[in-house]
Amino acid sequence: MMQSAYEQSSVRSNFFVVWNEFVKNMKFLMAYPIIFVFWAVFPIFWFIPFILQGQAFVGGLESASFAQIAGTEDYISFIVIGAVLNSYVNTLLYGMGESIRREAVQGTLDYVFAAPCNKAYVLIGKALSESVSSTIFAVSQLTISVLLFGVTFTLEVMFPVFFIVILLILGLYGLSLVLAAVSLMYKQSHDVSETIGYFFYIFSPVRYPIESLPSWAQIIGKLIPLTYALIIVRSIMLLGTSLTEMYWEIFALLIIDAVLIAAGFYMFNWMEEKTKRSGTISHH
Amino acid sequence: MEKNNKDYRLREVKCPSGFTWANVKAELRAIWEANVKAWKIDFAYPVSFVRQLISPVVFMIPYLLYGLVLIGGTYSENLAQLVGTGDVVAFIFTGYIMMGFIGTAVWAMGFSMRREQWFGTLEAIYVTPASRLGQVLGMALHSTVHQGMGTLIQAVFIYVTFGLGLNMSGILPALLIFALMLFALYGFGIVIAAVSMILKEGWIVSDSFYSIMTILSPVAYPLTVLPTLAQQASAIFPTAPALIGMRTFLIYDYVPEVVGNVFLHLLALGIVWIVFGVFVFHLTDKYVRKKGILKKY
Amino acid sequence: MSLKMCVMLSLVVNKSGEVFSIQTVNLTKRFAKKRHRGVFGFLRRNQLDRDVIEKNGVTVALNKVNIKICPGELFGLLGPNGSGKTTMIKCLSTILIPDEGTVRVNGFDAQKETSMVRASLGMVVGGERTLYWKLTARDNLMYFASLYKMQRAHAKRRVDELLEMFHLSDRADERLEDYSTGMRQKVTIARALLHDPPILLLDEPTLGLDPGFSRQIRRQIRELSEKHGKTVLLTTHYMDEADQLCDRVAFINSGNIVAVDTPNRLKARVKEKEIVEVTVYSPPADIEERIRSLLPDAEVVKLILGDEDKGNPSRIKIIGGAAEEHVGTVIDALRQKNVRIGSLNVGVPTLEDVFIKLTGAKLTEGGMQ
Repeated sequence: MMQSAYEQSSVRSNFFVVWNEFVKNMKFLMAYPIIFVFWAVFPIFWFIPFILQGQAFVGGLESASFAQIAGTEDYISFIVIGAVLNSYVNTLLYGMGESIRREAVQGTLDYVFAAPCNKAYVLIGKALSESVSSTIFAVSQLTISVLLFGVTFTLEVMFPVFFIVILLILGLYGLSLVLAAVSLMYKQSHDVSETIGYFFYIFSPVRYPIESLPSWAQIIGKLIPLTYALIIVRSIMLLGTSLTEMYWEIFALLIIDAVLIAAGFYMFNWMEEKTKRSGTISHH
Repeated sequence: MEKNNKDYRLREVKCPSGFTWANVKAELRAIWEANVKAWKIDFAYPVSFVRQLISPVVFMIPYLLYGLVLIGGTYSENLAQLVGTGDVVAFIFTGYIMMGFIGTAVWAMGFSMRREQWFGTLEAIYVTPASRLGQVLGMALHSTVHQGMGTLIQAVFIYVTFGLGLNMSGILPALLIFALMLFALYGFGIVIAAVSMILKEGWIVSDSFYSIMTILSPVAYPLTVLPTLAQQASAIFPTAPALIGMRTFLIYDYVPEVVGNVFLHLLALGIVWIVFGVFVFHLTDKYVRKKGILKKY
Repeated sequence: MSLKMCVMLSLVVNKSGEVFSIQTVNLTKRFAKKRHRGVFGFLRRNQLDRDVIEKNGVTVALNKVNIKICPGELFGLLGPNGSGKTTMIKCLSTILIPDEGTVRVNGFDAQKETSMVRASLGMVVGGERTLYWKLTARDNLMYFASLYKMQRAHAKRRVDELLEMFHLSDRADERLEDYSTGMRQKVTIARALLHDPPILLLDEPTLGLDPGFSRQIRRQIRELSEKHGKTVLLTTHYMDEADQLCDRVAFINSGNIVAVDTPNRLKARVKEKEIVEVTVYSPPADIEERIRSLLPDAEVVKLILGDEDKGNPSRIKIIGGAAEEHVGTVIDALRQKNVRIGSLNVGVPTLEDVFIKLTGAKLTEGGMQ
């Protein structure tokens, strides 16, 4: 009796799926150089108004009132870090949904689902390419901020920051899987990513310290992985805190990551099964 | 094949054209129907519809909270020195109204033709005798009302949560300035609609203009904090003079010369942008028909 | 109806002096070929590249096309994919501006009197999304009625009339996303008829439809021509469709009009005894060459690959020479290569045979549904 391709799947073949999906997505990105340049540079323009607002309200580059809540007087670096980490949310969250929507529009989604491989590996490939591109964009934005706004930091902080970024990405992977699952059933997945994006933007300390929110909103904020990533990275980069001192926040981030990834895989498999039965994969 | 029962002659067709009342009426109806169509499509996506209504609130909150944390209250000494009022809530609210309408011009209007490309209906629209500009203007009508509803929600929210104090007697003249600004902004929107049709990644054009206009408009800060060159560049967009004029009526003390200048500035910008917009639109219209790129997106 | 008769009738009755519903003179359209060199390709562009673009970088989609279509005529434009059919329709409908030549539609110049040309035309494009799926059929039609500058009361009456005509009244207030492909195509045709235009441009109107809906659409096209006196320009690559429907047919290949005539006269160009068609399964790649070498007097030997999974076997066409004498040789050659033969026909010419004889190219790989 012949073995089916699914039965023959191995670590190597799964790696092949992830790698090819990664390469395909990177090629898509490179096929639109203008988009690449846009994401590498343009998010800067979204936070420039906040820097100018600071100068108009405070009349200088440091604010004592800001330090009372945020712990640092340097509101410009605070804003830059918030914007750069938030760009991971933009690219990963929208990128995944967009990638699946693109497959649906191109008519390739049915074929992807008809393939015998585990679809989670396809999604890992997609997420990997989004992570790599997000990191390229983040580095670019940070470099421009250093040159334009005089943001300073030491190179030693880069390793712990990178570690936290990986933890953030893992949480966003989980969330992306949930989104991917939703986009299979619900044709307007863009709405869901936008709504989650709103949630992150309001309840996470992207543009302001979390302490400035009402207490009920702070509780919601503490369920979001970006909140912990922002708190830890700002502490390391602006206050010189070491990674070990932030053990509680790192632990909380790990727990949220685990919950999101588990929920993501569960929901994706459930939705995949459901859509196969209802036959609504390719609608858009 | 013989078909002797046919009437073998060219048939006269009736279609209003040129500068006739019948044609103006027909074009206005086409604009109205494009607006109605946009509403119907909006209602087909209820989540998106509601999200867009509350988005003015969502995107204003960071400006407010960040501003309040920066100064530890609602009054900024430095802002008072720069513009004459230190009330940051009223300052940010009036500024943020503009953000939504910049979005209307660059996104809703700018993307109106692109949306038709996405729906697959652009060619069908092109073979009708109605002006394609009607699509853009229909979308402008729709999104102005839509954005207006969002602004109302925004005003109620900010009044309830942060306490908004505006000079109520200044609302009518402020609205007049606002209407003048819309006129110029829509000319700008027409330019974006035209440009985004020929560029593959039209959203980048919209987003770039949105970001640049936001920076060059005194939304959350007065123009004086910008470098001199940027201050001069802001004069070409209607949002900067409109905000100065509106704030004069709603927050600051009334200065007749300032208001007079604002009116003249907006009137001039309105004429220039509309004429330039229509010119670019027709040029692009011809270009896409020459190159055969109507369908590409 | 012959061209001569058409001209005569038109000259008698047309007051404006215009004779043809559609007339093109030396219509030419070229497109620049896009070269993909990768992300940093612009860095690699050199003199050689520029020379190539100047010499070969242009696709001639239409090459000095002259066509005259009479009022009330059902005219077919046949050609393989990429032959210039759609470009032709787009030039006629003012969507595309030609590089050279003139287009007159219903007596109006397509470049100078675009509004009147548009008011004279209804256009249908097959197989594509051209309606608002989130709107109902009625909403779609009412919206486009406004773009055709129809008054509201008139538009309402007309929309009801068309929904009735296409048997869509019962589902007129459902969104198009819940319609079948065939029903959506009916709405597309109804849209083309909204303003009761004298001329219809139908670009592959049955593309992607199932046989039942295709038959319905063809019947409606015939009715529009015969009962309502519409001039119809139909582009298709289903030769049987053109054969059944059209008064006259033009063959287009690589932007050139190869022949224009009635289907019967075109078919008469290939004598009955000259045709041999054999349907075969899984033919080897060299079979065409092999048969050609065995039949030196045949004008054309063409292997038209089918899609056996979809029930379309491949076909071998032999045109020219003594067909009956060819049969034995062909069967022997196929048997030698162990090719399974499905059927064998001698002397039933189709428009495709004429097209192959005239151009050496195949018209389509599939038949009419």
